[in-house]
Amino acid sequence: MSARFKLFAIVAFLVLAGGGLAAYKHIVIGIPLKVGKASTEWLVESKITFAAFGEPVSVRLALPTSEITRDLGIDAQSSGYSFRTEADASGNLSAVWEADSVEGPQALYYRVRFPESGVNSAGPVSVSGDLPKAVDPGLTRNAREAAESVVRRVSEFSSSPDSRFVGIFQEITALESSQEISLLKRAYADEDERRGLISLGVDLLKLAGIPARMAYGVRLEEMRGPQEALLLVEYFDGVHWKIRNPDKPTDELRPDQIFVWNRGGDALFEVNEGAENSSIVFTATRDLIPIERQTDLRESSLLVATILALPASERQVFRFVVLIPIGAFVVVLLRNIVGIATLGTFMPVLLALSLLEMPLQSGLIMFAVIIGAGLWFRFLLSRLNLLVVPRVAACVVIVTLLMMVLSVVSWRLGMRDGLKITLFPMIILAWTIERMSLIWEEEGKRSALLQVGGSLFVAVVAFSVMEMRQIRYWAFYFPELLLVLLGGIILIGRYTGYRLSELMRFKNFETAA
Amino acid sequence: MTRWWHRWFRTPAELREMGVVGINMRNARYVLPSNPRKLYDLVDNKVRTKSLAVERGISVPETYGVVTNPGDVRNFERMLEGRESFVIKPTRGSGGKGVLVIAGREDGMYLKPSGAQLSVGDVRNHLQNILAGLHSLGGKRDTALIEYKVAPEKTMTSISFQGAPDIRVVLFHGYPVLAMLRASTRESDGRSNLHQGALGIGVDIRSGKTVHAVHHGRAVKMHPDLKVPLVGVTVPEWERILEIAVQCYEMTGLGYLGVDLMIDENRGPLMIEVNARPGLAIQLANGVGLLKRLEPITERRAKHPGETPAERLLFSKNRFAPIQEG
Repeated sequence: MSARFKLFAIVAFLVLAGGGLAAYKHIVIGIPLKVGKASTEWLVESKITFAAFGEPVSVRLALPTSEITRDLGIDAQSSGYSFRTEADASGNLSAVWEADSVEGPQALYYRVRFPESGVNSAGPVSVSGDLPKAVDPGLTRNAREAAESVVRRVSEFSSSPDSRFVGIFQEITALESSQEISLLKRAYADEDERRGLISLGVDLLKLAGIPARMAYGVRLEEMRGPQEALLLVEYFDGVHWKIRNPDKPTDELRPDQIFVWNRGGDALFEVNEGAENSSIVFTATRDLIPIERQTDLRESSLLVATILALPASERQVFRFVVLIPIGAFVVVLLRNIVGIATLGTFMPVLLALSLLEMPLQSGLIMFAVIIGAGLWFRFLLSRLNLLVVPRVAACVVIVTLLMMVLSVVSWRLGMRDGLKITLFPMIILAWTIERMSLIWEEEGKRSALLQVGGSLFVAVVAFSVMEMRQIRYWAFYFPELLLVLLGGIILIGRYTGYRLSELMRFKNFETAA
Repeated sequence: MTRWWHRWFRTPAELREMGVVGINMRNARYVLPSNPRKLYDLVDNKVRTKSLAVERGISVPETYGVVTNPGDVRNFERMLEGRESFVIKPTRGSGGKGVLVIAGREDGMYLKPSGAQLSVGDVRNHLQNILAGLHSLGGKRDTALIEYKVAPEKTMTSISFQGAPDIRVVLFHGYPVLAMLRASTRESDGRSNLHQGALGIGVDIRSGKTVHAVHHGRAVKMHPDLKVPLVGVTVPEWERILEIAVQCYEMTGLGYLGVDLMIDENRGPLMIEVNARPGLAIQLANGVGLLKRLEPITERRAKHPGETPAERLLFSKNRFAPIQEG
């Protein structure tokens, strides 16, 4: 029985190690075990990357205004750099990092945190002292004529700066642009199309006598992952500076959707000649535990902090990665204890992962349509007597095309979720189709449908477990609990009892004579 | 004693009482400890199994040829000079997957037992699929085995709808524990897979007489299509069948194995393949839980280690004789 003893010793060790670490985090550091309701927070992280080559480097990042930052949790990670924040005459803050000699790829981080409801970073700001004046944008003659005629047209219908702002950006974003706008668009063509249009809008506003400048925001969307700064427009309505998103000129900015990182017209970030290839990305993530705890945790030893010691942009990927073992555990349970047959062992986990990215219903419809249509094509292909690998490759192409068609069709029908199906595991789907058609031929359609149905069922169960808020919280903030899960999987690996399906399979069992 | 829930399921306690072995138990207690991984290739590779069997004098269907690379597919007919019927199998296939039986030829076409016609191109395509690994475990590249098609013995064909039943003997450490016939029905369409509607017919180890039969897990007395009795049929050359099965244990060294055989009209019992993880349906076919047979063997081996094949055969025959029906 020493093998048995070893097994239990290993399982006990795993449970103790995982459970112990989790208990330490809970009791000593004080991280709640249950996912909180109110204490969720947004963490917005900016990450500046560049390559240095041994010369003095100085990096300046424009920051959210001081009124906002006063109440926010702030954190700048900058090992090897001297760091300070500076305020200019008009009160605009910026962060400055300096280093004498650094080499190779560099990354600097600046983070702010605020409650989930958002902070009103886009509110109107009043001006002290002189009122700002619109500066003439200085256009070429042709462009100026066109621009003036647009401004005249807009001014006929609107008098206030607000309505002129709306009018100008509606002209620019209209599907069929007027002759003048087309000409101007060509003059303002930029590598970044949106930036070109916005600088056109800003200049038109100035021409209409409204002071205007660019501002930078971050979308509060977790799924987006690392994102570029969102360009916004700030304009002066005679009393206040206001901010709007030129994509939706009529709407005020919603603080729970967009965080304005910087306003005031300064450059978002500057890197001196000591560096090359600089760029900035933002990551918005929602943290489910309070700031103080989070800081405590990050500063604990690596063993305790684990993935939480990573910057938000690197950590983001783990939101899904930590869920994969949970999906695998569900598969183990459903196969070895319940006894559901699936096509391919872990295909359901991959399917569940892709379901996480879209509403369940449309995900399942997509799956059914792709498998159904794919099978039909597979039967057509089988008449051509192709070899196996080319046949599966042909299936991959067909699956890809099907997804494109589905995306376009669902977009046309106004279902925006359709676009996300690109994350569907295509190769896996192609193999699923191939294997299903084989089973169909060899064991009949009942068996094939049963196995696909089984896979789908397992995928949906895995999806619903992986989607539970509490489970995600545990997986992400207590990743050491995966050791406990491992212990459970090892135990199931030694389970010799009946599967539930066998209780039914042997229901007519009769001891002969 | 029938309970209301027997319409839907049996409780684990009831199954344990009857000695039923589930898949988890089979794998964890019997397959994994008794069958070392390194021996698997002996049985997974049919070409190897057959050549080993021939060395030991176990009768197997004659090999006509092995197609190993796609270039040979065009010339496969050269291997078949003068052969009317043959069987094509993937060398590493399992569970009858990818097996193509050709019963004869007519006007340059090949005929399946059902009478369906295949062109030379169809057969070549089947060979290509086998070589590409379509039917092998994990989709690995494979070779195709072309061999003699068994001419089934008459008592066997009389209880099967098309095609001949095959015989499966399960052995534990070289002791035969359970045996069954698998006979096809109209529903199973020539295939001998129990969950596709084939019949499982339990065979008494001592006498070679059929004792019990099931269709879709339910006990039956008659063949559903042929209306002939299924119980009380004597399997011919039973002694020889058991001998071959025991020799297969000596040959492979697998502690838990299933041996599949067919009886040829002229050549007698032929070993078709050896399976390192035989299924559990044999319990249903016999109406006997495997545990009732496996546990006595474990005890016996503890008390009398290293018995000869003849001694093991004798033990099984005496120990596993069914209680005579009144």
